[in-house]
This record gives sequence, structure tokens and C-alpha cells, in this order.
Amino acid sequence: MNGAQHILDAFHRHNIGTVFGYPGGCIMPLYDALVDDVGVDHVLCRHEQACALAADGYARASGKLGVCIATSGPGATNLITGVANAHRDSIPMLVITGQVASGMIGTDAFQETDVLGMTLGIVKHSYLVDDAEALPQIMEEAMALATSGRPGPVWIDIPKDILLTEVKALAPSQSSTPEPGTPDIAEALAMLREARRPLLYSGGGVSLANAEDRFRAFANASAMPGVATLKGIGNAGKHNPNDLGMLGMHGSRAANRAVEECDLLFIVGARLDDRATGKLDGFAPNARTIHIDTDAAEISKLRAADVALRGNLNGILAAFTRELERQPLTIDDWWSQCQTWRTTGGFQAADNEEPLAPITGPVFIRQLSRITADNTVIACDVGQHQMWVAQHYHFDHPRHHLTSGGLGTMGYGLPAAIGAQFSDPGTTVINVAGDGSFMMNAQELATIRRYRLPVKIIILDNQCLGMVRQQQELFYQNRESQIDLDDNPDFMAMARAFDIPSLHIERTDQIRRGIETILAYAGPMLLHVSISREENVWPIVKPGASNHEMMDEPKRTTAQKEHVA
Amino acid sequence: MKPKTQTSLPGYTLTCRMAHEAAALERLCQVVRIRGFRITRMNLQSTDGQLDIALTLEGSRPIGMLQSQLEKLHSVAGVVLDEGASQTRSA
Repeated sequence: MNGAQHILDAFHRHNIGTVFGYPGGCIMPLYDALVDDVGVDHVLCRHEQACALAADGYARASGKLGVCIATSGPGATNLITGVANAHRDSIPMLVITGQVASGMIGTDAFQETDVLGMTLGIVKHSYLVDDAEALPQIMEEAMALATSGRPGPVWIDIPKDILLTEVKALAPSQSSTPEPGTPDIAEALAMLREARRPLLYSGGGVSLANAEDRFRAFANASAMPGVATLKGIGNAGKHNPNDLGMLGMHGSRAANRAVEECDLLFIVGARLDDRATGKLDGFAPNARTIHIDTDAAEISKLRAADVALRGNLNGILAAFTRELERQPLTIDDWWSQCQTWRTTGGFQAADNEEPLAPITGPVFIRQLSRITADNTVIACDVGQHQMWVAQHYHFDHPRHHLTSGGLGTMGYGLPAAIGAQFSDPGTTVINVAGDGSFMMNAQELATIRRYRLPVKIIILDNQCLGMVRQQQELFYQNRESQIDLDDNPDFMAMARAFDIPSLHIERTDQIRRGIETILAYAGPMLLHVSISREENVWPIVKPGASNHEMMDEPKRTTAQKEHVA
Repeated sequence: MKPKTQTSLPGYTLTCRMAHEAAALERLCQVVRIRGFRITRMNLQSTDGQLDIALTLEGSRPIGMLQSQLEKLHSVAGVVLDEGASQTRSA
């Protein structure tokens, strides 16, 4: 076998059946090997960035390793945003790029870039293969690294001659990185029992550790009120009465209030991101912290933990659950207080649902949440619509919510939806996009058509970059700058060009029919939703401010409402 | 552009052992930079496929944060903070 065939052999041994890629000069040996391969389905996206984002969506929705492939030079540089996206959100990904032949490296050869050098900061690890005999071992190590501990992207850059070289080395046995064990929880348990106002704060680490079941068992046993980060949405399940929703910049008033008032933060798989904490000095000012994470570098990174528990989340949460089932916490007063906040300070659709009223993002998303099945996958783009989904869609599982959290990548949603659809062809996958984000990877409509994917696309079209406009309005004296998109193309005509039917709605009474129509259609369908340009996401915390300074929607006069309409 | 001179920053000495593979040193230096530290002195020795690197650093952030980030690197075998030297420099 040559180097290229060894790569496919590694895919077979690891049951990797779907990869996302785009061919080109230096990666051609691998594409040549694919011609004779049986078992690896290659998905041709229309831009390398979409290859990486589709691999990301595939991995998030399935929990499996996502794989993307590109050629050297521009193929590799186009991958970078997608790989950075996976890195920031700790998504297991294997990236394979062709490189100019070994002897040509450093000569400014055609389509040569120093991929290893330029990607150091966005990978968990990376390799430039300089010996064909090392390739089988590197493949094995890379896949183990990408999926173990705190997952992340691992990039293998392979010169063309290595791909063509006959490799004598045999594939090594599958390696695994040792997982950390379960630390002693005694000190943390004592601190938890002492607390009168403990609050559970969970993030994306729960699903990354495949610890959803253990987390829910723990949440139920503790009966602690809970808040979630953007990536932790769904951890508690759809119907958990203790869930106060998302905290932070666009979090619920109930969640942020509970953080402010709690005397203990029980942090599980979260990294105290600035969008969640606001100004760190003002975050949970009265609380001690117990921080549980698999990544030692996240513990006490931004705020010193009173008790740090580094290890496997499943084991740690199970240990706490056993203790709390034996002797529950006594936090009835605190629980009641949080329930009051939940009732009065949860997310509410700000506008009315009058039949002829123009559609608002929150009203639309709440109806979408009511109509869709619990196992529907929602792949968001980035902007106001992303926050409306986070606030108003009730997710039953974190893997149903695909969102670009750390990097905030506009254009994420459509390729991520494609990846999710490949991971489970029978699931309903919906891309909720804004008009700005949609245009960043709109070429992937061609991928949807090519593979006849039944992805549903919803564009909440406010003809502007809404989140930027909102912050310009609130924090830049309403000095709008480069946010107008009123020359958007005809999205329905675009869809039609890719044989994708579409529907347009603009009034509240059309929402249900619109959603039900696209869900009932067997293939892909686009729902174009006109919404007001002036709608904002509420509440909001000014960047850099404390969460307790969050701003609510100002009361509007009837005249102002008519103007918005 | 003139380099910034910040003489009052705490100083530290770290020794690091890592695999001598492509871009190893760049990877190390990049983490040092992005995590808020500046290298003021570096001594490097290559032996049997390993790099032994002594770094003298300055920076205002907790050194433990940098140490844990360096330890995360796959190619890093170990990072040791020279407490004596660090205390002397930061005293």
C-alpha cells in the first residue's frame, strides 16, 4: 500500500465512513486511491471552509470523529476558519492536507504554504509527515488524540511524494490516550452540603465527555437550580424544572440573577467564557466554586477554584450522585426563590402573536420549538437569530443544538447542517440562518442538491447584519456602519437555481403553515422569513460590563411599534 | 516600531522537555506569547530526539496558567518551574 492507501486503511479500521473534502494537486494521490475504495463515502463540498464546518457538524451531532480533506495552499488556508471553529469548541476532527513534494518544501513552489506553521494555534496537535514509514503510526496517534481527553482538531500535512510512496510499516494496534481517573470528591461534597444557595453551571464539556446521562442523574439527585452556557444548552433536558436557561450576555434574567445570588457555583465542563461571565470581577461575587473539568488548564484559568476536580466527568458525577441520593441537599428556600425568578425572569417572546403582526425572531423560534420533534437538529449561524434560538428553542439534548460558540463563525450553519444530516440521514435537520450568515456559505446549496439531502433552511431575513446593528444602536450612538443588506439577492430564486423549493412568510399567522410545510416536504426546502430590521435581542449585557447590569427591552410606545412594523 | 519595555513584570524560569519534531519550538513559543508572556532568554539543547529548553520569561499573568497550557501540548513531556529563580526575579 502507498501512503494514500494507508490513510484509507486507517479510516476503515476506525469505521470512518464519511469524509468531507475537495480535491486538488497535491492531494490527488489520496483522491486516486478513493476511486478504488469501498467503504469511505467522500462528500464533495463546494468550498474547503464548508468541508471543515461540515465535518464539525457531523462530529457534533454524532459524537464521532469528523474528517476533512483538502489540497495544499489555498485548499489548506480555506480550511482554517472551519478548523479554528472546531478548535474553539473542542470538536474531534481529523484534517488531512496534501503538501508539495518533500524536496519542494521551502522553495515557494506552486500552491505551497507553511500549513504547519500557520495552523499551530488552532489545532490540538499537528504533523508534517517527513517519513512515509511513520504515516501509519501518525494516523493512529492523530485519531486517538483528536477524540480523547478534551477533543480537538488534529491536522496531518502530507507531502505528495509521501502519499505515493510504498509503505512497509504495518498499521499499529489502535492506541488510546489514558483518561484521567476519578478524584476524591470528599472536600467538594462537604462544601456542597454547606452551601445554602448552590447553583449548577454546566457547559459544552458535558456532551464532549458523553456524560449527558450522568449529568442528568446528578442534576436530578441534587435538585440544584441550574444555568447553562451556550454550548451547554440541552444538558438538563427539555423539561427539567430546575433549569433557569442560558446565562451571560444574552442570558435570562433568572439565570444571571441566580449566579449573582448563589453562594456556591458547581461548574461542570465550562470554561468561564467572557460571554457567559461578563466582567469577571462581578461574576458570582458571593460564591465559592467547585470546578470539574477534564482539562486541567481550564480549572482556575480565569477564576481560582476553591475545589478543583480534574478527571472524567462521568466518574465524578456518578460519585456525587451516589452521595446525594443517599443524603439529598436541603435547599428548599433557594429552590423556591429560583423558581420565582424562573417564572418572572425567564425568556419570554417580547412581541405579541397577533395573527397579522409582523414576525419577530422570538415568536418564530418559539413556534418552531413547539412544532418540531424533540430529536430535531438545529444548526445555527451566528448573530441575532443564533441568540433567539438559544433563548427560545427548547432543546432536549446538547447534540441537537449545533452552534458556533467560541469562534462565532458566520456561515457555520448550512455546512454544519449538511454534516449533521450525513451523520443521521433519518433525522430532521434545520439550518436557522440570518441573511448575512447564509450568504457566507450559500454555495453549499449545491452540496444539498448533489446528495439530495433533506436539510430544511430557514432564513430570518432582516436585511441587515442585525447583531452588529443592534450594538451600534445601543453602544455606538446608533451610528450605523456597513450593516445594510437591503440589496440581498432573491433567496427564493437562489434556492430555485439549485432545485430547492421555497416559501416566503412575513406575518405571524403564516408561521405555523410555513414550518409545517417545510417539515412535511420530503426533500430540502427553504423558508424565507421576513422580519423587522429593528428587532433586538433582549436582554443584553454590554460587552465588558457585569451581568447584573443587563439591559431589558425598553417599553415601546404604540407609535414606535407601528414604525417597527 | 519600538519594542515595549516593561521592566517591572514578574520573571520566571521554566525548563521544558519536548519531542524534537517539526515546528516544536514554534509551538512552544507561540503558546508563551499568546498566553501573555515574553521570552527574555532561551537556552536549547537537542539530545536523542528530545529538546531541553530553558526559558526565562516575564509576564503579569499567573505562571501556573502558562505551565498548564504548555503541559497540554502533545509534544511536551514535562514542564518544571524553577521556583528559586522565579522568586528571585520577582522579588
